[in-house]
Amino acid sequence: MEVDRADGRNPNQLRPLACSCSILHRAHGSASWSQGDTKVLAAVYGPKAGTKKNENPEKASIEVIWKPRTGQIGKPEKEYEIILKRTLQSICILTINPNTTTSVIIQVVHDDGALLPCAINAACAALVDAGIPMKHLAVAICCCSAESGYCILDPTKLEEQKMKGFAYLVFPNSILSVLPEGSSLVQGEPMEHGIITSVTHGAMSVDDYFHCLERGRAASAKLSDFLRRSLQSKLPGDLSKAE
Amino acid sequence: MEAKPSTANLVDKIVVPGDVVLDLSSMTNQTIKLGGGLRQECDSVSVIKAGKLRFSKPNKYWVESSQKRYVPCVEDTVLGIVVDCKADNFFVDIRGPTIAFLPVLAFEGGTRRNIPKFEIGSLLYVRVVKANPGMNPELSCTDASGKAAEFGLLKDGYMFETSTGLSRMLLSSPTCPVLEELGKQLSFEIAVGLNGRVNAESPSTVVLVSNAIMNSESLSAVQQKIMVDKLLQRIK
Repeated sequence: MEVDRADGRNPNQLRPLACSCSILHRAHGSASWSQGDTKVLAAVYGPKAGTKKNENPEKASIEVIWKPRTGQIGKPEKEYEIILKRTLQSICILTINPNTTTSVIIQVVHDDGALLPCAINAACAALVDAGIPMKHLAVAICCCSAESGYCILDPTKLEEQKMKGFAYLVFPNSILSVLPEGSSLVQGEPMEHGIITSVTHGAMSVDDYFHCLERGRAASAKLSDFLRRSLQSKLPGDLSKAE
Repeated sequence: MEAKPSTANLVDKIVVPGDVVLDLSSMTNQTIKLGGGLRQECDSVSVIKAGKLRFSKPNKYWVESSQKRYVPCVEDTVLGIVVDCKADNFFVDIRGPTIAFLPVLAFEGGTRRNIPKFEIGSLLYVRVVKANPGMNPELSCTDASGKAAEFGLLKDGYMFETSTGLSRMLLSSPTCPVLEELGKQLSFEIAVGLNGRVNAESPSTVVLVSNAIMNSESLSAVQQKIMVDKLLQRIK
């Protein structure tokens, strides 16, 4: 079914993506990620010695601070911090630097829909920039489902408000591997078919949700390629030293 | 999804965390040494830090990347800043995840009677002796045979911080182009730590030397020569 989106995209099309790394001079790792008009800046400091009181000292801990564009920090920001912390904890290898804290600071520059996925992508790129050891990368995407059952990807703020329900989905990135196809399957499926985080708002039927999952997973391959390319261009080429 | 050739070789390519680079089940009876950035998971070796995968014969693999934080390794020479003095150890900050300890006796001819007095904030050129995961690294101001060998306090000069990749480039041999070009016209001394700290000392041109080094990180050899020439023109 044809659906009219305000900016003329088709339902599976993402907004233009832009990512730059190492933009902050003092932070140990930083990245800015923008999807269309939504732009988020992430900075990573650490690992630094010591953990907070409630944290397990046998593992590294991740601390997230979310700074909204305007206004006081309130409950929505705290919720984003918790979601982001759980997502990043599952992709970082926490046993490598025990009893340390890595701080991730997210600054919202502009919010035009799909804010949390944009922040997760920015935080992941900033962690790579800082050299924090990770199991794999995470790519995040927002899918909404409307009354009539179709689902669209990467909504703008207006589209988000009109929709019946939407879901933020975070998938592992697609990896290059020298193993033969099919040897590294987890319970019969390649690792890219897993899901790291899913946050839903509003109401949608089970079928709609699975439909959103499929669309989101297909789009995550494109996001994963984009992330890989932007990390490649940032890493220094060799200076042709005799090595 | 991308096609994965079954005999893809990722050496000398940029890899991101999660990529599987070695299949150990096809390499039995070989000893393989894994350096930084790689981790073994059952029968495969995967990447944990983004960078360029390197291989050195006969059996060493590592991921080369440049960060602003330092991961302590044994036998690295680093520049540390004293943050505290205790009875047995100096606490030295080497830009790693934890503070490092420098025993008060780890100097040439060090006894309980001639313990050096370092003020808080002094810059030391030290060697990493122990770097186990989860423990604070241990340092020493002597080389492996117990001689002083230029380790110790750096009194004069200007210290600036760069990335670990730049310090490896400065220490590579043959001499990196920016140092060669600067050396043709100026006289200066630098102490480079593998943790990204560089201490430059020069009678009158220390700011020029440090700016030239900081600018040279992302330039190729030819661009570095041009950049140094332009900077030197200004002081003529």
